Formats: sequence, structure tokens, C-alpha cells
Amino acid sequence: MHEMALMGDIVQLIEEDATAQGITKIEKVELIVGEISNAMPDALRMAFEIFRDQNLHFFSQDAQLVIHTEEAKAQCVLCGTQYRPRQKIALCPECKIPSGKLLSGETFQILSYEGSSD
Amino acid sequence: MKVTLRTDVLTNNNKAAEFNRELFESTKTLVINLMSSPGAGKTTLLEETVRALSEKYRIAVIEGDLATERDANRIRSMGAKAVQINTHGGCHLDARMVAAALGEFDLDEIDILFIENVGNLVCPSGYDLGQNHKVAVLSVPEGNDKITKYPQMFMRTELVLLNKIDLLPYLDFNVEEAKQDLSEINPQSVLIPLSARTNEGLHEWFSWIEGAYNRCVQQ
Ligand SMILES: Nc1nc2c(ncn2[C@@H]2O[C@H](COP(=O)(O)OP(=O)(O)OP(=O)(O)O)[C@@H](O)[C@H]2O)c(=O)[nH]1
Ligand SMILES: [Mg+2]
Ligand SMILES: [Zn+2]
Repeated sequence: MHEMALMGDIVQLIEEDATAQGITKIEKVELIVGEISNAMPDALRMAFEIFRDQNLHFFSQDAQLVIHTEEAKAQCVLCGTQYRPRQKIALCPECKIPSGKLLSGETFQILSYEGSSD
Repeated sequence: MKVTLRTDVLTNNNKAAEFNRELFESTKTLVINLMSSPGAGKTTLLEETVRALSEKYRIAVIEGDLATERDANRIRSMGAKAVQINTHGGCHLDARMVAAALGEFDLDEIDILFIENVGNLVCPSGYDLGQNHKVAVLSVPEGNDKITKYPQMFMRTELVLLNKIDLLPYLDFNVEEAKQDLSEINPQSVLIPLSARTNEGLHEWFSWIEGAYNRCVQQ
């Protein structure tokens, strides 16, 4: 997997924005990670700790990563049933036909960050 | 101070993908991103595709590989232009790598560009390269269960080439079950059984390409 590279992108995007805002020290980062996005929360946490510990000029020592999991949800276009897709993502549990459309679960976003300017 | 971003983590990739897409559209190049696990037969299929279609179309190939130049050389020996991207251990191609490789081509002189992604059923599916179509290759020795085990790949591809069907008599791969599983993950997706070894079924893949090409240039 490539969570180190993903964390590199996350840190870069935050750094760009923080520089523009005059923020020099990051204390907290919040992500939204969909259940069926390709990112793995545990690997992201590990990668975050490595980046933080290697970039203490930019992160405070106890900077934390908060991950909000976005549930995967799908809805059948025929009967309207909402369900939690497992492997057979499109299969409606009521109709038993592949009439489901994914509503959520693919998001992978930086929700916010917190920091200060000293 | 708290700053709300709501920025997609893959923002930079998506920007590069848009850049590629505009280039492909303005030069009317059909671009197909081929993905599979290692050894499913992407390069062999591309060799056969170049062999069969290079009279009709000007074909080029971008080869993603962890370290070697081998696959690009195989394609070159079939007479098509090929550029190798070495990801140096990276498990997928991203749109910036493709954008950088595009400098090696004159897209006005190319009708169809195939991108062979790094052999991996997980990571490549998440990266938009700016392609017109994402196509997965699954091979008979990998077994039926790959479709349900890696739904993220198969929900994002519109065509599955089931390769190595010459091996069906020796293995317990069930084609009907694979089709059923695929339809329950991605009902729009099509499965074409074929063999890059015996050439059985390849004509169906070639007509799919032809249809995609015609739609691409008519836009
Ligand atoms: N029996 C059989 N063997 C095949 C077929 N297609 C490819 N092979 C063999 O499968 C092996 C791997 O094929 P490649 O084309 O190199 O596979 P690939 O997907 O490009 O592999 P990577 O680039 O390493 O991910 C080779 O030994 C091929 O000769 C087929 O239809 N039938
Ligand atoms: Mg190959
Ligand atoms: Zn239903």
C-alpha cells in the first residue's frame, strides 16, 4: 500500500494552505476516510506519526490525527432500500438484483487542520 | 485556529488527470488504462493487440513497471512506440507520471494509447489518469473469487478481459459464476473471455476497441 505517499500529499496540501494563512505549527489534522476508498486508517495513522516526528518544525510534538470514517451506503433504484454494501456492492438485499447505486463510502478528504502562528 | 479544507487528498492527481484528459480530447486520442494483478497477461494481450490492429490504427503504449524496461521492449519489438515509466517500487501509476511520459509522444500522430498499469489489483483503481476507459484483466489461474475480493477494482472498470481461457480445462474457474459476481458488483461492466495464447475471443476485444475508438473521434 502507499499510505506514506498519501500522507506526503496530505502534509503538502496542508503546508500550502497553512503558509497562505500564516500558520506555522500544526496541532491537529482531521480526515474523512470512506470505507471503500482505498486508504487504510491504521496505515495512515502510522504514516502520520512518522511525518510528524520527522517534521517537528511544522508539527507540534503531540499533533494528532483524527480519522472520521465515512460508512459505505448504497440505495436500490427500484425499491429504495438503503443498505450497507458488502462485496457485491450493487446487489439489493430486498430485490436480489443488482439495482443498487453507491451513495457514500468513496470519500477521501482532508476535512480540517488546526494550528497556531508561533 | 481551525481551518476547514474539505479538500480531496488526490487533488493534485485529479488536476494532472484533467490536464491529460484535455490533451487526449484535443488530439482525439483514445486512451485505455489496463489494470490487473501481476502476470495476468497485460503485456501479452497488448503484444497481440498491436500485432492485429497496427495496420488500422497508430498505437502507442505507456508501460508502468516497478523497475525494468522489459515490457516496453516487448511492445517495441511488435513495432509500436512504447515509453516505460519506472515507479521505483511505487504500486500504481499516477496522472503526473503519465503527464511526464506524454512529452515523449506526438499525440497528433497517435490514434490509440494503451497504459499498462503496475501489476496490482488494489491501488491503481483509485488513480484517475485522464483515460477514456478503465479495463481490468483477470486471468483464469487467479480464480473466481478475485472479483468479489477486490470489488473496488471491478466497480471502477467497465470491461473485464478474462484471459488465459486456454487453461479452463485444467482449472476450476467458473466463467458463469464470474459473470454473475461481476454483474452484482458492477452491472454496467462487460466480461470478455479470451486467450492471448490461442487468440480465442480476441476479436471481441478488438471490436470493443473499435467501437470505443469510433465514439472517441466522433465526440
Ligand atoms: N496459458 C496462457 N498463458 C498466458 C496467456 N497470456 C499470457 N500468458 C503468460 O502469462 C505470463 C505473464 O504474462 P504477461 O503478459 O507478462 O503479464 P503482465 O500482466 O504483463 O505481468 P506484469 O507486467 O508483470 O504485471 C507469461 O508467461 C505469458 O506468456 C494466455 O492467454 N494463456
Ligand atoms: Mg506486463
Ligand atoms: Zn431493491
